[in-house]
Amino acid sequence: MEVNMSQNISQNSNQNATTSVVGTAASRKDGRAKVTGTATYAAEHQLSGLVHGYVVTSPIAKGRIRSINTTAAAQAPGVIAVYTHQNSPQIFKPANNWMNSKIYEARLPLSDDQIHYAGQVVGMVVADTLERARHAAHLVQVDYEPQAPQVNARTANYQPSPPWFGEDFTFNSGSFSTGSAEVTGIEAQIEATYTTEMELHAPMEPHATIAHWQGKDAVTIYEPSQYVLLTQKTYAELLGLAVERVRILSPYIGGGFGSKAFPWPPSILCAAAARDLGRPLKVVNSRRQMTANAGHRSETEQTLKLSATAAGKLVLIEHLAKSCTSPVDVFPEPCTIVTPVMYAAPNIRLEQQLAVMNVGTPTFMRAPGEAPGMWALESAMDELAWTLKIDPVQLRIMNQTQSHQRKNLPFSAKQFTECLEQGAERFGWQGRSPEPRSQVSPSQTQDDLLVGWGMAAATFPGYRGATSAKVRLLPDGTAHVLSSGNDMGTGAYTVVGMTAADALGLPLNQIRVELGDSLLPDGGIAGGSQMTASLTPSVALACQEVLKAAEATTAAAAFEKLRQTGRAAFEATASTAPGEETKQFAFNSWGAHFCEVTVDELLGRLRITRWVSVMNIGRVLNPKTAASQVRGGIIMGMGQALMEECHFDPNTGFPVVYDLATYHFPAHADIPRIEVAFVGEPDLNFNPMGVRGVGEIGITGVAAAIANAVYHATGKRIRSLPILPEKLL
Amino acid sequence: MKNFAYTRATSTRDAIAQTTGNPSAMVIAGGTNLVDRMKVFLDQPSDLVDLSRLPLKQMERTRSGGFKIGALVTNTTLADHPEIRRDYPLLSRAILSGASQQIRNVATVGGNLLQRTRCPYYYDTAFGCNKRQAGTGCPAATGVNRGHAILGASDQCIATHPSDMCVALAALDAIVEVEGSRGTRQIPFAEFHRLPGDTPQRDTNLEPGEIITSITLPPLPAAKTGVYLKLRDRASYAFALVSVAAILELSGDEIRSARLALGGVAHKPWRSPEAERFLVGKPATPETFTQAAAIALQSAKPLTYNGFKVELSKRIIQRALAVVAKGGGLA
Ligand SMILES: Cc1cc2nc3c(=O)[nH]c(=O)nc-3n(C[C@H](O)[C@H](O)[C@H](O)COP(=O)(O)OP(=O)(O)OC[C@H]3O[C@@H](n4cnc5c(N)ncnc54)[C@H](O)[C@@H]3O)c2cc1C
Repeated sequence: MEVNMSQNISQNSNQNATTSVVGTAASRKDGRAKVTGTATYAAEHQLSGLVHGYVVTSPIAKGRIRSINTTAAAQAPGVIAVYTHQNSPQIFKPANNWMNSKIYEARLPLSDDQIHYAGQVVGMVVADTLERARHAAHLVQVDYEPQAPQVNARTANYQPSPPWFGEDFTFNSGSFSTGSAEVTGIEAQIEATYTTEMELHAPMEPHATIAHWQGKDAVTIYEPSQYVLLTQKTYAELLGLAVERVRILSPYIGGGFGSKAFPWPPSILCAAAARDLGRPLKVVNSRRQMTANAGHRSETEQTLKLSATAAGKLVLIEHLAKSCTSPVDVFPEPCTIVTPVMYAAPNIRLEQQLAVMNVGTPTFMRAPGEAPGMWALESAMDELAWTLKIDPVQLRIMNQTQSHQRKNLPFSAKQFTECLEQGAERFGWQGRSPEPRSQVSPSQTQDDLLVGWGMAAATFPGYRGATSAKVRLLPDGTAHVLSSGNDMGTGAYTVVGMTAADALGLPLNQIRVELGDSLLPDGGIAGGSQMTASLTPSVALACQEVLKAAEATTAAAAFEKLRQTGRAAFEATASTAPGEETKQFAFNSWGAHFCEVTVDELLGRLRITRWVSVMNIGRVLNPKTAASQVRGGIIMGMGQALMEECHFDPNTGFPVVYDLATYHFPAHADIPRIEVAFVGEPDLNFNPMGVRGVGEIGITGVAAAIANAVYHATGKRIRSLPILPEKLL
Repeated sequence: MKNFAYTRATSTRDAIAQTTGNPSAMVIAGGTNLVDRMKVFLDQPSDLVDLSRLPLKQMERTRSGGFKIGALVTNTTLADHPEIRRDYPLLSRAILSGASQQIRNVATVGGNLLQRTRCPYYYDTAFGCNKRQAGTGCPAATGVNRGHAILGASDQCIATHPSDMCVALAALDAIVEVEGSRGTRQIPFAEFHRLPGDTPQRDTNLEPGEIITSITLPPLPAAKTGVYLKLRDRASYAFALVSVAAILELSGDEIRSARLALGGVAHKPWRSPEAERFLVGKPATPETFTQAAAIALQSAKPLTYNGFKVELSKRIIQRALAVVAKGGGLA
């Protein structure tokens, strides 16, 4: 791991500090707890009197419940309660407007007898052990009146998509906006359709909730939550409580990727039933239940048209995308948002369509929109490069845009060219043989392997939200940093600690970081790759404030004061938020992937053998945790490229994947060494720390880089993911 | 999971006594398949008889130079045994290409033979399934059947046998030794697993109350260059799309005898006597192998989504035979 990054720490308020920890490859503060099993995840909390809920799910994908017989379940050993829509615990309809509350699926669990998708929660059994609850759930007899479901995205009924966060998907510029028919200067053109399959959320930690009521009007909820304070407000509305009567505890999250920001139906049911029962209740989703109750990325179909001059200048881009949602909520996969960000063209047309299918509700999944969008766009760019006989790296450099073509704002601190050039250099791209099927590697087996090199760009917006953090100095010489923001495995504990260490001039091991508790100041959302960009400025500011409060110039002096005066602590809370800069600049992180694949053509056996990625993410607070995020994204992209897909039985609409043996993502053996490097300068227009997000960019462009390498290896253009062996035969 | 009574068998006889005449009793060895099945209500035994302490863990040479392997030898022990790796490398490779190290560490030889299909329709009680319950249909036939059988299937069932190890054992003509209330018997491997026919509920010819005590590998010098090749949806930790175990006995360039078994294509490890017969006396050339592959797949009947398996099976046969002809190794 190398980092080409000028580390220029302006936040360091301590003159005496000799070394700065920001910018170093510090190991995770929570690493030891995690690998030794002492980090307590939501489902692992031990509470006395805890009972277990197991949800009953629908095997049909559309229709209604005629009747439910719960007698056998209720009589099974250990059973405490059986809930159905006929005796649902009380749940209130939340505003569900992002401001006051947000749930993933607008329909509340057990709200009526209608079935909208297979796997929908139709009941819950509570028993003294998980095994007994599961057994009794199996004994609940539901009589359904089924109807023919729609689970085939290819034949679904597409309509113009509703807007994305208030903004229309449709966009027309140049001749598309004026309606003028002729676009001149087109000397080369490609038009192609690219598809992806449904990808499931499958984080290591299944979705789980423990609800522990204190009486009937206060509750503590242990739940992995990427957005602790909004989850708190949401449960308050769902349960009809004042916000401060709900406490959310989410110190550790075993992977969220967008699927753990808000409550899903089983969690809502857990919280409501626990009040009804007057006992702490735990509900853990099985992998099978997660196929419908934890979100997914919709299948997509995207048609790209790129027209260019013979010299390779883009003249026209058309990008039409289709995705699917569930009958009970609206979530378009925003594939086209990436297009006006990547390449300049005087004529651009964007359009999205959405169809309703009888599937669980789709949601945000690592780089929603960008991941499938870049698959299509970066494949199309490669096709255009071959058509024009122009190096794909050059084609991208030549066509990049210095401004966001929808916002009409210049990009801040954009070093995309450096990503491409340095990536090419590190990979040895100039050594690429110019024709497909022209590189081979002798094999120990029988036939030589075809070798292909591919590349693609990566991008993800820089998001930032309002946050607060509290810093407390204690007489024992430690500083505590407190925030409701959280670490879903990203390294937030570590970078928050590092920020405070430098701001206070203390070594990292004297900083204690507490995250993921709704009693703490609002740390915002761990989503949209924005936790670091949003939270560390507040942490740095709170450090300065606490020194002011102590009337000390150094933390050491503040500690001395505490010891002399016998005072318990100095404490300060600071808040930061984005401001005018969002009207002056557009913010994106940038990157380039380079990869090598081998294809054993006789067997359709594809292996990724080499990977180099260069990223431009503003200041790199910690090259180790940052590179780890990029690698994780790349690995997830390899899954999207090669194996991830959820299929449904065409007759019943029931998913035919049921666990991690049927839903494949990469094993270690699928992953080569992944070299990650960073380029660029701190983006001080964006926030005082100069950091942009790094959590999602890694996955963008990965599938295209692989498919582009496959084309170079085999001469076969793959336009449908995943690239299964049969597609290579 | 339904409540069950758990006992540890004190001897093979004891285990047989406890399970004979009690149709809702089951034996458990490593538990890596059975416990998963119990959790999703595929099996709901009232009594679970644990074999794991029985003295069936020996591996010893037979007098004829073969190998006798106790039913409770773990998959790892068997795969790592230096003489197995030397004399039957395809068996070692087949085992190591399956599951994960952790699972293989507890999975046993007997349990591996009796693991059940991974057909998703069998695995979820939301669906009907003739294998799970006679007469409830086969939704896989008109459903997502990419992973299903192309050979030897019936109207009743298109499931495949998921084991890798068994494909190698089929090619090696292993003998399964079983013991029941009426004594012991030996079952040739080819007769151990069944085709689905009208009784897909039965995977094997093991009688109720019978227990596997050991497997015997006959001596087979040609096995030293035998090959196991498995293709799957990722590089590790996935069941086979198709796999093949291949052994050739060569004299110069001429094939003296051949054994060919396919995995992932049928309700049992699929030997192809026609292709094996064809190979005998032929020169070990790519053309011969291509023809043999075509013969082996002659009776293949692809379904909606698994047509590619026919072509892929032919190709792994060609590849595996070519590697065997060159002296074996990784294919
Ligand atoms: C995630 C996962 C991935 C896997 N991947 C693969 C793979 O890629 N390839 C592959 O081949 N396998 C794979 N397996 C299956 C694995 O090989 C089997 O689970 C294992 O071999 C079963 O052995 P066991 O001792 O644990 O059997 P158990 O689970 O204990 O028993 C299995 C069955 O055998 C019966 N039984 C056990 N011993 C005897 C005996 N001596 N006599 C009579 N009946 C007996 C039991 O009653 C039960 O019905 C995988 C398993 C898992 C969980």
